[in-house]
Amino acid sequence: MRYVYDVVVVGAGNGGLSAASKLAQAGLKVIMLEKHNLPGGVATSLVRGRFEFEASLHELCDVGTEEQPLAVRNIFKGLGVDAPMVNEKNLFRAIVTGEDGYDVTLKAGEALFEESLEAACPGSGKSIKKLKDLLAKTREALAYNDRMNGRPNKLVMIFKYSKFLIAASHSVDEVLRSLGFSKKARSVLETYWLYLGVPADELNAFHYFQMLRGYIDSGAGVPEHKSYGLSLGLAESVLKNGGEIRYNTEVDRFLYDDDKRVIGVAAGGDEYYAKQVVSNVIPHNVFNMSERRNTAEKDRKLLNARRFGLSFVCLYVGLDRSAEELGIKDYTVFVAKKDSSRTQYDDDADLGVYVVNCLNVAVPDATPAGTCSMFFSIPVFSDKLMNGVEPENYKQFKSEIAKRYIADYEQVTGIRISDCIEEISVATPVTFARYFGSPNGTAYGYRLSRWDGLMARILSAADEFKIKGLTFCGGHTASGDGFGVSYASGLEAADRVLALLKEEGV
Amino acid sequence: MTDKKREGRRGLRLSIGNFLKILPIRKKKIEDAPDSDVRKTGSYKPNELAGIIHPGLQHLIVTQVKDLTEDVKLYRLEADRENGCERLAPFGAGSYLTFEMTVGSGRCSRPYSICSSPKDAEKGFYEIAVRRTPGGVVSNYIHENWKEGTRVTAQEPAGEFLYEPVRDAKHVICLAGGTGITPFRSMVKAVLEGSEDFRIDLIYSARKEKELLFREELDGAAGTDERISVRYVLSDEEKAGYGTGFITKDMVAQAAQDGEPYSVFICGPQKMYRYLDGELKGLDLRKKYVRRELFGEIRDLSDEEDYVRPGADEFTLTVSQNGQRTAIRCRRDESLLCAMERAGIAAPSRCRSGVCGFCHSKLVNGSCYTPAQSDFRREADRLYGYIHPCCAYPLSDLEIDVPAAGKIKI
Ligand SMILES: Cc1cc2nc3c(=O)[nH]c(=O)nc-3n(C[C@H](O)[C@H](O)[C@H](O)COP(=O)(O)OP(=O)(O)OC[C@H]3O[C@@H](n4cnc5c(N)ncnc54)[C@H](O)[C@@H]3O)c2cc1C
Ligand code: FES
Repeated sequence: MRYVYDVVVVGAGNGGLSAASKLAQAGLKVIMLEKHNLPGGVATSLVRGRFEFEASLHELCDVGTEEQPLAVRNIFKGLGVDAPMVNEKNLFRAIVTGEDGYDVTLKAGEALFEESLEAACPGSGKSIKKLKDLLAKTREALAYNDRMNGRPNKLVMIFKYSKFLIAASHSVDEVLRSLGFSKKARSVLETYWLYLGVPADELNAFHYFQMLRGYIDSGAGVPEHKSYGLSLGLAESVLKNGGEIRYNTEVDRFLYDDDKRVIGVAAGGDEYYAKQVVSNVIPHNVFNMSERRNTAEKDRKLLNARRFGLSFVCLYVGLDRSAEELGIKDYTVFVAKKDSSRTQYDDDADLGVYVVNCLNVAVPDATPAGTCSMFFSIPVFSDKLMNGVEPENYKQFKSEIAKRYIADYEQVTGIRISDCIEEISVATPVTFARYFGSPNGTAYGYRLSRWDGLMARILSAADEFKIKGLTFCGGHTASGDGFGVSYASGLEAADRVLALLKEEGV
Repeated sequence: MTDKKREGRRGLRLSIGNFLKILPIRKKKIEDAPDSDVRKTGSYKPNELAGIIHPGLQHLIVTQVKDLTEDVKLYRLEADRENGCERLAPFGAGSYLTFEMTVGSGRCSRPYSICSSPKDAEKGFYEIAVRRTPGGVVSNYIHENWKEGTRVTAQEPAGEFLYEPVRDAKHVICLAGGTGITPFRSMVKAVLEGSEDFRIDLIYSARKEKELLFREELDGAAGTDERISVRYVLSDEEKAGYGTGFITKDMVAQAAQDGEPYSVFICGPQKMYRYLDGELKGLDLRKKYVRRELFGEIRDLSDEEDYVRPGADEFTLTVSQNGQRTAIRCRRDESLLCAMERAGIAAPSRCRSGVCGFCHSKLVNGSCYTPAQSDFRREADRLYGYIHPCCAYPLSDLEIDVPAAGKIKI
């Protein structure tokens, strides 16, 4: 069959959903094609027995409160999607074992955050003040940049917002050092590096602080109906506004005209033509589905220079005891073997660090009464981890990894869970590869390496992937991974498409 | 960089000069990269494994047919290379295969447990045992039509009825009823061959002695491996050496070792599940220690306490699929999935028991009933009106939006 639309959105992940929702809202004839039979991509959930597990979301950044909504809540409000969520009061508990180890809990809210950091790392006061100042300056600079529509006056930037430029061009660790934080305080403050997947001595400081500020301001946002509830809500808004969604529909080819313009996509023999195509699918896969003559040398080289971000092994564990009975008090616990993200990162497949969430702490009735669920996320490098894993020993491989991390958690926290496991499911890079088709099973798109960090990407964005008729959105774009930024990137893609269509007089 | 070196940089003044270097560094990095084609996604290890473990559909060929009893046949299936299936997807003992076929003008799928072992699949074959169900559409079709050389289509192995050492007790008391022996035969073989390591005490019930499947094999396994034991229970016959009647909680308690935790795995007809639900209550087992295979399609809603029989015996079901609307008839006592299949609509399905979510569809209007024990929908699905048509029954005329059945991947 041959279909014609204003816009085709390929992939119903976070970015694709928000893009399609906004485009449908704008009254365009939109269709979204998704290879899986559910919307959301990683923003999904899985049911085992009487448990429904959150599949991927730890916490939403930058949500604000119901009364004073910030970015993420505003996105849902703007798209007319009901997205009930709670604000978790603690940022995290970080347990570092071994020499110089610590067990620190940081609280959300500016004053409480400072108080808890000072309590954990006495003498940080002065540095905290400087950090606050830096965060404020960064915010001002961004506001100025927005006012100038992304074309700021260079001199103003240099003289008025030099602090921002510094944060924008140094690593987290460099900036925290320059602010005079102690080794322990730096380590504590850098705990979130995992969410961006690059160690703190390489990770762009501006990028990281943006996220940190988002969490400090309103605490982690936890959706009441799991991230799948948000996905389904967005899908509903697409349908409500007259858009179409086709599930079980895997795009296998991007269609170009002689002018190297994307004019549509093909899926299982059907062709979908459109004035504009939005791809929530990672550029690597789009290039695999495009003929070489239609792609630019520069873009191919960029993709070949890039490395993929982290993947994860996830354990979804349903326990037949409540969180209170087990003594679980924290929503988010980071466990690390050593206190430097760099040594962890260089440690190959086993990064010696993982995050454990207990959803019931934030959303008490997330599982039936008398039970609770735990979600372990273990960041991994797919290549090294999967070395030696064969189809025949895959089941055993999953059991062994689960056993190892559960035992470690028990040992580190003193909380015993292994004898109350009622359900368990294990996801690996193979799972990511299976459901999302992401190359190497990456969960985080492209690695935010020093040379390819947020600032570098933003500054170059205008010159990259200049493919007519095609706009990318999602965690693999300039803004990097993360739920909130992916939703935002979808809206940006939609805005771009709307502007382009306007130019063309549609 | 070593820690020492980095310590040496403490207090280092940061400059905005770095900002100016961002673009040149990036440019250089990209210029130095090769201009080869972007590496194929399928060539990365996780993607390659995903392709082998989850091929979607598999083209198979029947290579052996054996009569096990009067109404049960054993089928051996191998990869159909001529149709592009190079190797069989691996599976854990206890998995099932869903077969897809066209019977008359209807499109059907049915799950059958794999009764061969994981290593057999490595060697190149799966086995399933199919009982001819009186009046049954697919089982009779299979019995009549599957011969050596018949080409068939199966989905990838699926299911959650697997032994999981992190969760289950090391000692598993397996309760099998009739054809429900199939996944346990796979587990017994898996233990023998070393794919799995747990203790199996199998209590196998059938109506009559001659209906017991794999009898010699099971006795042989019990004789050679001390981790395995088998006892038989006959409901319609009294014979020396066999238990009589149904499987009781006392038989289970007897198989248990003093004080040691044990898991109970159950596979059999729906009647047996319902009966054992009550029978095992007396043992006060934690839910975590009782696992049963999928319930299967519910044919008789009168057992469901909260089911309110609607006024009419038949309804109009409007199915929209990829924008095309078709109105069909749906009987009161058949699932929406069955109605679609009878009408020749290719709707996705796998477990046919409400669990896998493969048939996930949107209820556009009208109402339907989902039995509580088959309702494994996600919370948000219920909020937004999504249903699993394999276990949804009409209460009024209704319209549903159904995704196309996935295309063959290989
Ligand atoms: C996980 C799993 C594993 C399984 N493994 C095996 C296995 O190893 N071996 C095996 O033999 N089977 C197995 N089954 C059962 C199998 O999938 C089929 O259900 C079985 O073969 C009957 O299918 P059928 O098409 O012949 O019967 P169906 O046509 O589905 O009919 C079954 C019965 O229902 C009656 N019926 C049909 N339609 C209606 C209706 N509308 N209203 C009322 N009654 C109706 C029929 O008369 C018949 O008595 C398994 C099922 C599951 C869920
Ligand atoms: S086919 Fe599995 S839930 Fe319907």
